[in-house]
Amino acid sequence: MPLDHRRVRGPEESQPPELWAAAGEVPVEGEEGEDKDAAPRDPCDLRPLFARAGLLSQAEGSAYVELGGGTKVLCAAWGPREAAEPGAAAPAGTGRLLCEFRRAPFAGRGARWRPGSASEREAEREAAAALQEALEPAVRLARYPRARLAVSALLLQDGGSALAAAISAASLALADAGVEMYDLAVGCALCRSPGPAAAWMLQPGEPEERRAVARLTVALLPALNQVSAVLGGGQGSSPDAWVQALRLGLDGCHRLYPVLRQSLLRAARRRDATAAAAATAATA
Amino acid sequence: MASVVLSEPEKLYIVHGVQEDLRVDGRGCEDYRCAEVETDVVSNTSGSARVKLGHTDILVGVKAEMGTPKLEKPDEGYLEFFVDCSANATPEFEGRGGEELGTEIANTLYRVFSSESSVDLKSLCINPREHCWVLYVDVLLLECGGNLFDAISIAVKAALFNTRIPKVRVLEDEEGSKEIELSDDPYDCIRLNVDDVPCIVTLSKIGYRHVVDATLQEEACSLASLLISVTSKGALTSMKKVGKGSLDPESIFEMMETGKRVGKSLHIALQKILDEEESLGTSRQKVGFLG
Repeated sequence: MPLDHRRVRGPEESQPPELWAAAGEVPVEGEEGEDKDAAPRDPCDLRPLFARAGLLSQAEGSAYVELGGGTKVLCAAWGPREAAEPGAAAPAGTGRLLCEFRRAPFAGRGARWRPGSASEREAEREAAAALQEALEPAVRLARYPRARLAVSALLLQDGGSALAAAISAASLALADAGVEMYDLAVGCALCRSPGPAAAWMLQPGEPEERRAVARLTVALLPALNQVSAVLGGGQGSSPDAWVQALRLGLDGCHRLYPVLRQSLLRAARRRDATAAAAATAATA
Repeated sequence: MASVVLSEPEKLYIVHGVQEDLRVDGRGCEDYRCAEVETDVVSNTSGSARVKLGHTDILVGVKAEMGTPKLEKPDEGYLEFFVDCSANATPEFEGRGGEELGTEIANTLYRVFSSESSVDLKSLCINPREHCWVLYVDVLLLECGGNLFDAISIAVKAALFNTRIPKVRVLEDEEGSKEIELSDDPYDCIRLNVDDVPCIVTLSKIGYRHVVDATLQEEACSLASLLISVTSKGALTSMKKVGKGSLDPESIFEMMETGKRVGKSLHIALQKILDEEESLGTSRQKVGFLG
């Protein structure tokens, strides 16, 4: 009998085995075991951040940001181009910023997300909207009437704090493209683990983020001291606790800022050097 | 979203008024417009509510259906939100025009209700891993007159308060096969505890001050607003910045304090209305859509 390859011959849905494990048995995972051995993390600790601007040759501006826990985001910026349908969404006299956020199908832990599935698309669209809200205050859109700027972020690997990394990378890419901006938007994520006395932690890794009861992502324009994005939720706590979390997050943004600036300077120097080399080659 | 076009002098008039704590309709910066709340307006639902806040008109229907629990939470029911932007509200919503706003609002509602304590989801479980109640919360925007988020969250809370889920029992015979039995008495039902359901308070930054419950005209003057959800005890469960502009950290802290204060009094007022309506029972004169 010929085999029908289009039909999946397994059960319609699958369930993780942990659900059926006897109650009280704690599933032992390698990484969680490691976590317990390690000393409790300093909540103010930032994970090492690596940023590089201007690495894609085809895009006008591009940036790559990697966080210590394995988060990798690649961003490209295009523009300004003539808007396809003038004045559709933006008021007359200002440009439009279009943001896109995509996750690689293999970005997450566990089972592969089917690309293009409804839930996946929904999550990407929400992240794209958050990205746009974080970047719009930083870009001088009034300088680009009837034009559109496009930024696309591609999440290669999700190791926690992905949206924050995408915000930083996207603003680097825009700056690298030579778009007029007020400042870089620096993103920073925080989370609070369960427990009554748990403190907020900066830049959580993926396991920490999964266990967290409350999450927060902030974006800051450090030179102007303006907050461009606040997005968070979870277990309720008093406004004072949230204020403390916000302060911690904004402090984190201030500390990340020099790293991003350095990477921009390096990209500019590299570009100068290649231009000079090309010029000497032409005269020789 | 529905928007109005204002000239510069009109904007200046509103901004200067807000500076003096006097808004165009005579309110102060921390006052809500007069709100009308009516529950049990659609008889085909498990619970429904209609909220009219100024010119914003929201209808929420909750339908309880039986489903299977989510894999990661086998002993809990869950809530599903869907927001429909009717073309009656503004012509922009025609066709697929309102879809983007609808998903944005639905995502915000998911975030607001993401806190475990907001609704007791365990009470929605019928038998673990197999059956639970799924509450489909459908939000209809009938008219947009500014401050959609607050009005929607008030309507959702009122509708959840009004929700009655029939009681079911699980019978198990000797062979282990299970059967679900519905109670014969239609008044034998579960009510949800909505004490910890948060309400959204939107604070719009206008000039150097912030206002609650902005009208469409005021929203046109505001570049950025902060959306926070507050429970009746004054705890914040989520926050989000919306709009094109950015905010100063200090003003965010101030807005959170104001939001907590305003949110607490909003909850008290809403609970009073709901209890009053509840005590009238069937003798209450229904206003519905004729009011």
